[in-house]
Amino acid sequence: MVKNLLLPSLLLATSLAHAQPDSEKPAVDDDGFKNPLQELKFRPGLDQRVFERSTLEALEVYDPFEPINREIYHFNYRFDEWVLLPTVRGYRWITPDFVEDRVTNFFNNIRDFSGLMNSLLQLKVKRSMDTTARILLNTTIGVLGAWDPATKMGIPQQREDFGQTLGYWGVPAGPYLMLPFFGPSSLRDGTGLLVDFETEGSVDFLEFASISMDTLPMTALWAIDLRKTTDFRYGQLNSPFEYEKIRYVVTEARKLQIAE
Amino acid sequence: MLRVFYFAAVLCGLFSSAPVLALDVDPQTYGYPITNPFAATLATTPEALRPKLPEDSDIDQDDYKIQLHPERAFELTDNFWPVTKMGYRLARQKGAAPLVFIIAGTGAAYSSSTPEYLKKLFYGAGYHVVQLSSPTSYDFMVSASRFATPGVSTEDADDLYRAMQAVRAQHPELKVTDYYLTGYSLGGLHAAFVSKLDETRRSFNFKRVLLLNPPVNLYASISNLNKLVQTEVKGVSNNTNFYDLIFKKLTRYFKQKGYIDINEAMLADFQSSKEALNDEQMAMLIGTAFRFSSADIAFTSDLLNHRGLITPPDVKIKKSTDMTPYFRRALTCDFDCYMTEQLIPMWRARYDGGSLNQLIQDVSLYSLKDYLHNSPKIAVMHNADDIILSRGDLGFLRSTFGDRLTVYPLGGHCGNLNYRVNSDAMLEFFRG
Repeated sequence: MVKNLLLPSLLLATSLAHAQPDSEKPAVDDDGFKNPLQELKFRPGLDQRVFERSTLEALEVYDPFEPINREIYHFNYRFDEWVLLPTVRGYRWITPDFVEDRVTNFFNNIRDFSGLMNSLLQLKVKRSMDTTARILLNTTIGVLGAWDPATKMGIPQQREDFGQTLGYWGVPAGPYLMLPFFGPSSLRDGTGLLVDFETEGSVDFLEFASISMDTLPMTALWAIDLRKTTDFRYGQLNSPFEYEKIRYVVTEARKLQIAE
Repeated sequence: MLRVFYFAAVLCGLFSSAPVLALDVDPQTYGYPITNPFAATLATTPEALRPKLPEDSDIDQDDYKIQLHPERAFELTDNFWPVTKMGYRLARQKGAAPLVFIIAGTGAAYSSSTPEYLKKLFYGAGYHVVQLSSPTSYDFMVSASRFATPGVSTEDADDLYRAMQAVRAQHPELKVTDYYLTGYSLGGLHAAFVSKLDETRRSFNFKRVLLLNPPVNLYASISNLNKLVQTEVKGVSNNTNFYDLIFKKLTRYFKQKGYIDINEAMLADFQSSKEALNDEQMAMLIGTAFRFSSADIAFTSDLLNHRGLITPPDVKIKKSTDMTPYFRRALTCDFDCYMTEQLIPMWRARYDGGSLNQLIQDVSLYSLKDYLHNSPKIAVMHNADDIILSRGDLGFLRSTFGDRLTVYPLGGHCGNLNYRVNSDAMLEFFRG
């Protein structure tokens, strides 16, 4: 008797389970195709130039030094491919991962000093306090920054550079610049970069004389580590118009970083 | 007793003559979390549901370059110096192993994120892997393509085949047991044509060929993608810029990430926030990426063939030349424009071609129907909500591939390639 009841009720249940989801979804073709484009709203036929208009507008970036910028872009591309990246590969091949990570952390700790200065200059209280805590923790427990216990404790690094500080106080970006070796920037941000280097170079914590940023091996290690930790590759966009695309994205990204 | 045998024989006959059905993955048990096809296309699978992949540092891999067209080094304008030789990436196992060729999708380079993902997947399973750029990518067009006018699938496959042979010739020490072939998106279509070519040239004798989300009707797929930039996007009127709306949300992500790649898992966070993009905005974004690819194709093809449609024939491009005017002109040329102005005239002149319909027939999967139907080594994985498909395409795939077609209920265009269920199925198919 129980069996006799079970079968119809099971059938009913399965048919219900099948019926339910279908009622909400858009129509599906016989061959199972869901036709995802059928739900989209399209512009009327004579007004379909949003892409062109938007893109052509976006190409307008103030770039008075364009010819020289383009030469430097190509120079950087070659230098990267022929010198910098092979050096980084060699460095990674020789150096154990453990040592590489210590080096990266060490330089990140030094970057926190300029980050702190810029956070203060932008009157960002919370960020200044976070960065101060990071420096204190990482320089002591983290053995001069070789380890990064602060991130593990929930205070991740938040970079602030002098270009952002200038932007915060209303300095416009100025002309777009392709810096030799350093890549895309602007007059304002390029200047900021110099100030930040000066700040980081003068970091001489605990009067630890043997670690000075001004020596050649130290600068070389800094450069290699910086390249290693930067994901950007020339040619990555794989487009004959890479220069234009980078120019737009970098310009917009800086605006956002400053606004943030 | 004999009757039982007759009965069994009849039954067997019945079953074998019944059409073999495609494998339709059950939506209830599939478990892919993104139900919106546009979000799936852009964001792909959430990190936690991806397969376990080997670290980059555990992969023995290098980028190589081959000179396939030595004369080009003298003909090319200065701005093309990085791509005079064809680049590719090879990941090698320690001993003898099977080798997989991966063909990238529309406009994509061998180093972009999807070929990278597929490389890790197959390398982790013990294959040598070679990543190749798409014949529609600017580096391949310049360095490896004979006519630099992509779109005729047989010719693109021929270029790819020569490239593959050159790659093998460059590594005589590499011990390869068997050759496998895969491609995603447009690369899937190319893989089918390469496989067909291999039946006569017999250089590789591919053991298995896997087509991932290929277009069926190339022209219909292109029309779909072209249409995406014509969506009615909320918040964009005649005086506001579409990029101001969307790019601002994305550049923050790019900069922090340090590099730009439009099909990475970037939208996952946005889509759960109040800044979430709606369908039209996401469609516009996908369409934009395609239009940029189209612009690159139109510009590169025109310049290499001295057609003078975008770059005037007498202009000599140097490294310092302002390219923005040509970029502008190329941007207003969508794929339709490229087809009518460059592809069809070339095809008519070189192959005695005829109408547009004839071209569509020749370059789409239709022209390979018999071959695909009778080749048990070729399989297809596709999604029921793929945005590059049109009405009837799945039906064509079902009747052509039978049980060698797997249809997933979700995933958009290639969004579920890095979902664990899909990656397991991919490895399983190659394992045989």
